[in-house]
Amino acid sequence: MLDRESTFADPEILALLKERFVPVAIDQWYTRRQQDATGDFWRKIAGQGPRNDFQNTTQGLYIAGADGQLIAFNNNRGPERIRKLLHDAADNYKHPDNTQPIEHGAADAKYAAVLPEGAVVVRVSARVEGGYAETDDQWEKLFQSAVSRDNLWITAEEQKSLAAGKMPEDLELRIARFHLVDNTRGEPPTWSVDEVRETAFQIDGNKLNGTAKLETKNGKRGYGAKLRGEFGFDDNGKLNRFDMIAEGKFWGTGQHTMEPPVGKFPLVIAFTLADGTDIGDGVPPHASRGWIDGYLQPHR
Amino acid sequence: MSAVIRSITLLVLLTGLPVAVSAQELSGADLAEQCQAVCQDRDAPWRTVPWKTDLLDAQKLAVEQHKPIFVWAMDGHPLGCT
Repeated sequence: MLDRESTFADPEILALLKERFVPVAIDQWYTRRQQDATGDFWRKIAGQGPRNDFQNTTQGLYIAGADGQLIAFNNNRGPERIRKLLHDAADNYKHPDNTQPIEHGAADAKYAAVLPEGAVVVRVSARVEGGYAETDDQWEKLFQSAVSRDNLWITAEEQKSLAAGKMPEDLELRIARFHLVDNTRGEPPTWSVDEVRETAFQIDGNKLNGTAKLETKNGKRGYGAKLRGEFGFDDNGKLNRFDMIAEGKFWGTGQHTMEPPVGKFPLVIAFTLADGTDIGDGVPPHASRGWIDGYLQPHR
Repeated sequence: MSAVIRSITLLVLLTGLPVAVSAQELSGADLAEQCQAVCQDRDAPWRTVPWKTDLLDAQKLAVEQHKPIFVWAMDGHPLGCT
């Protein structure tokens, strides 16, 4: 998140990326595990850097030649260093002779999360609405104002059920477990089935109203939310509108979502049907990583 | 701001009276506006970069254009998670 608002908000860096590089964004959690041509190429690049234990994260910013030769690595915050890195790499780049495009071949099915036929994508954005201590620190300010992004998938069968006026159980639990989370400061912990203490989603015509109570066994993390939404369908019974807001008080943190506001704080989560025009619309839901069946059937 | 919210705001300002409007009374357009207000800024600078999301598609383009590859590799997808 901080990279989006700092490094990739820098006009000079953006110009360099557009003109002198081929920029690519990946979730390396997938890529370093994939047993296919994509995974092989990633392990070739990352294996030359300091994060070459593929049992652990290979997160960072990398510059590589078309042949996979690592030119530079950085995992520090701030645009100054990246600006210099990009200039140096672009100015000194010598394209490797005789390098050919690498064929994709068969993808590693375990990590190839594909949108099920007839399913729709709903953009999910979360924002903390208050509770942080005042700060003059620029990085803290970015954290505090962060808006997260994830995608919710709704299957064709679930759309049929919504159209018939019935809230699908799997969809209700999927929303609760995987999307009523505070992911504004990093990767969030999702909720186990047991941590979903109560959900009550009601469909009335094209409206949805509901409540959800989520809490860990030790009570250190939780969210109590009210939800209200509206949806509509095209002539083929496919969702052509889905807007929903969850509002409530969240408390607690996760391993990668440290330093939340103290105590209970307001968290709002918005759901809006994707139209495919956003660069993030094609990204699989975070909770589907390596376990798409468990995401779609969250009772499992 | 929608016409409904503008009208409510004007009423409160003119009368000084608290006006309770439940979420259900707001129109569908208002709900969509509220959702959009929470979403990420679609004009954010990072979105202007022609990011590839497939590493081998990027490699192919790098071969064709004789350019180096810049990889933004994160835990969670940089373009669509967190």
